Amino acid sequence: MPAGRPGPAAQSARRPPPVLPLLLLCVLGAPRAGSGAHTAVISPQDPTLLIGSSLQATCSVHGDPTGATAEGLYWTLNGRRLAPELSRVLNTSTLALVLANLNGSRQQSGDNLVCHARDGSILAGSCLYVGLPPEKPFNISCWSKNMKDLTCRWTPGAHGETFLHTNYSLKYKLRWYGQDNTCEEYHTVGPHSCHIPKDLALFTPYEIWVEATNRLGSARSDVLTLDILDVVTTDPPPDVHVSRVGGLEDQLSVRWVSPPALKDFLFQAKYQIRYRVEDSVDWKVVDDVSNQTSCRLAGLKPGTVYFVQVRCNPFGIYGSKKAGIWSEWSHPTAASTPRSERPGPGGGACEPRGGEPSSGPVRRELKQFLGWLKKHAYCSNLSFRLYDQWRAWMQKSHKTRNQDEGILPSGRRGTARGPAR
Amino acid sequence: MSRREGSLEDPQADSSVSLLPHLEAKIRQTHSLAHLLTKYAEQLLQEYVQHQGDPFGLPGFSPPRLPVAGLSAPAPSHAGLPLPERLRLDAAALAALPPLLDAVRRRQAELNPRAPRLLRHLEDAARQARALGAAVETVLAALGAAARGPRPEPPAAAAVAATAAGVFPAKVLGLRVCGLYREWVSRTEGDLGQLVSGGPA
Repeated sequence: MPAGRPGPAAQSARRPPPVLPLLLLCVLGAPRAGSGAHTAVISPQDPTLLIGSSLQATCSVHGDPTGATAEGLYWTLNGRRLAPELSRVLNTSTLALVLANLNGSRQQSGDNLVCHARDGSILAGSCLYVGLPPEKPFNISCWSKNMKDLTCRWTPGAHGETFLHTNYSLKYKLRWYGQDNTCEEYHTVGPHSCHIPKDLALFTPYEIWVEATNRLGSARSDVLTLDILDVVTTDPPPDVHVSRVGGLEDQLSVRWVSPPALKDFLFQAKYQIRYRVEDSVDWKVVDDVSNQTSCRLAGLKPGTVYFVQVRCNPFGIYGSKKAGIWSEWSHPTAASTPRSERPGPGGGACEPRGGEPSSGPVRRELKQFLGWLKKHAYCSNLSFRLYDQWRAWMQKSHKTRNQDEGILPSGRRGTARGPAR
Repeated sequence: MSRREGSLEDPQADSSVSLLPHLEAKIRQTHSLAHLLTKYAEQLLQEYVQHQGDPFGLPGFSPPRLPVAGLSAPAPSHAGLPLPERLRLDAAALAALPPLLDAVRRRQAELNPRAPRLLRHLEDAARQARALGAAVETVLAALGAAARGPRPEPPAAAAVAATAAGVFPAKVLGLRVCGLYREWVSRTEGDLGQLVSGGPA
């Protein structure tokens, strides 16, 4: 038995029909022009029932008794004729029907139960609504774009299949005071979502929940309590530029701008970079790009086009201790590494610009060596920039060697001033 | 204008007399609109029956042709009427359709709330019927054949909206209205086509 409170429509109660204005004429069963002037009424009209329950209905013919009796009448449900053994004649003018163990309705507008005359003409119809009451919605998640709005998503209980139209309403209120409010902009990011565009308070928690209602009852989710500042996301970083690093064949430089909407509040943004080779679907992700707007990708393949994207997490905004929510990825930006005749190394890591040490072991050791040299060999001009320049020079030299078939390049060694050409 | 060229009222008029170019263009334009709306009306009907469930979409489904307040189908004798009279009847029917289509849309919003396309197309149909009706009246006025006297008001939307006691009759009524829309738009296209081709009034 499904969870949820049974609603007032659970019984197949019949409502009295409204009074029809003179201008209207549309209750089925009105005399047809030139016909034998008999009508019928199905009872109950438009009942709502639980899946698995039974229905007892009647079709009562009125009008000229010589023209139409219960004999010869038959039923169809959604266009399919029902077996005669499901019906029985109650009296000369009434045909009864019993349907047991009903399945869920085939369409939102109700299953069409129709009473036919012997000649197949339609005498009356009634729509059945067979389904389940809603289960408790769950898994509510919300996020705020730049602290200006709130969008929430949820999962309907029982995967949403109640076979009846079920209305979902997102409600919210300030935790310790205020009235209940109802979200009004639905389906903004999927079928079970709602967007609150304005008038949201910061630094004070909200209570948020979802109410599900259909003809058979209603259900309410658990309450989610959150502070807007703990669920902030923002726009992807704009102006992402990817460029070569001189002649270095295994590196690309990535630069971006802090998202402008939060630029006055974004004290501790985190960024992530992902990149892939042009004809690959596998992204490599570089984490922990903290609070800076540039990065160098290293260990790339030479002569290869890379697509790069960046996203931002505005964590810690206004002192929030929560993780924050990652933005969408920026539009892909492409660049290619310089060509090389040597096969380049695979894999990659992000290296900050400006010659700061990277996370790779070789470069870490090199940094240590350079640091020692500075102290003990009075080489004050040593830096990673010089190292990179040397690498670029080495690559050019290698090309020249290959072209000249073994002629060695001239150049000094063992000094901190770098190669001279 | 004091002198009409190609007046529909004069059965003796030489049908080869050319209409003013702009009037001719207006007639062609209105005919093209009717042709387009005939296709839309057919699509609307198909979409409508799909959302009501079987037996509405099944071949051979023949519900009673319920009379609808303020509008009936084109009579069998319609084709035999003079062209101006036919166009006047077309215009009157097109003016009566929008509140009926609006009422159907409101009811379908309750019965099929997750069918936004159907609801939008019903809304579009009301607007299109209004536009085509106005265009036909413009043509009639330009030809000096507009209806004389005030046109009876179409049924008030509120009255039409308080329809059918049950869901099934409401579905049938909506089908009837969509069917009438298709019939009258198609009828209008045919009548205007005769005007375009310069046939005898």
